[in-house]
Amino acid sequence: MKDEISQIEQRVKRYWYSDGIGELTGGGVFLLLGLYFTAQQYFGDESLAGSLLQTAFIVILIGALFLGRKLINFLKARVTYPRTGYVEYRQSGRNAILMRVLSAVVAMIVAGAAILITRRIDAIDSTVALTGILVGVILVVNQGWSSRMGRFYFLSAASFVLGGVLSVSGLPRGYNLGLFYALMAIAFAVSGGLTLKHYLRENELPLETGNE
Amino acid sequence: MSDDLRSLTDLDRLIHEPARLLIVTILSTAESADFLFLQRETGLTKGNLSAHLSKLEEGGYVKIEKTFKGKLPLTVCKLTASGQKAFQGYRQQMQAFIMQTK
Repeated sequence: MKDEISQIEQRVKRYWYSDGIGELTGGGVFLLLGLYFTAQQYFGDESLAGSLLQTAFIVILIGALFLGRKLINFLKARVTYPRTGYVEYRQSGRNAILMRVLSAVVAMIVAGAAILITRRIDAIDSTVALTGILVGVILVVNQGWSSRMGRFYFLSAASFVLGGVLSVSGLPRGYNLGLFYALMAIAFAVSGGLTLKHYLRENELPLETGNE
Repeated sequence: MSDDLRSLTDLDRLIHEPARLLIVTILSTAESADFLFLQRETGLTKGNLSAHLSKLEEGGYVKIEKTFKGKLPLTVCKLTASGQKAFQGYRQQMQAFIMQTK
């Protein structure tokens, strides 16, 4: 019985990821980051545009995350809820928060070790390697473990591989990061797009919308 | 009658019924869910789901809010604190029973 109840609980948790909208929006945020780092490299730190971009990074990041959340809710209200219903999730419990903090610490330790190793080798761009590890670990812990959906492990693997490959590409750091985020945006868009396509095919809009 | 079996008779029957157990389990995971989601997840007909939700509401385990999303009616269901407590109690009772009878 415990297993059956756990399965139902798991199914409710996975519902959030069933439409791929989160990944599509995440892909959009990654694309913005890719453009940001490319533009920063293009303009250089010395130029006015470069300095402005550098100062505006936190604003751009928080704005993208905030707007991303709004966009997810907007799209779900139009695509998902009329087809398969509305669910409001509880705020993360203490264990979930502890798990996230723990994963962030592990990611930092692994990334720190990676930096120490890669610093000794000039040909390796430690920033993109670190980014690949951090994004990969966050994807595994935040999405993979909690939803138990295989596609998040693929995205995580993509992050590790891209971070590793680009770290030895020899490109300037800004272009390297820009390319990393752009390729991750494509990976997210493909994953989210396929998921959304499957979701829409499986769940047609009911003729009579609205609830009892 | 053994104590093991007697503990079964103490089970909360409002939750013990399979369809209502399914509804309560779903609502215990989410903060709230609408009628359409519950109907899809439970596989119950509208009438059946309505009847079970009404029983849970009468027992004080579920709070039902009927609102509108634009012009469309929207029924949002939420497990109350006593519903949450009853569900936890039910799970513990069932787990204890399964352990005793192993």
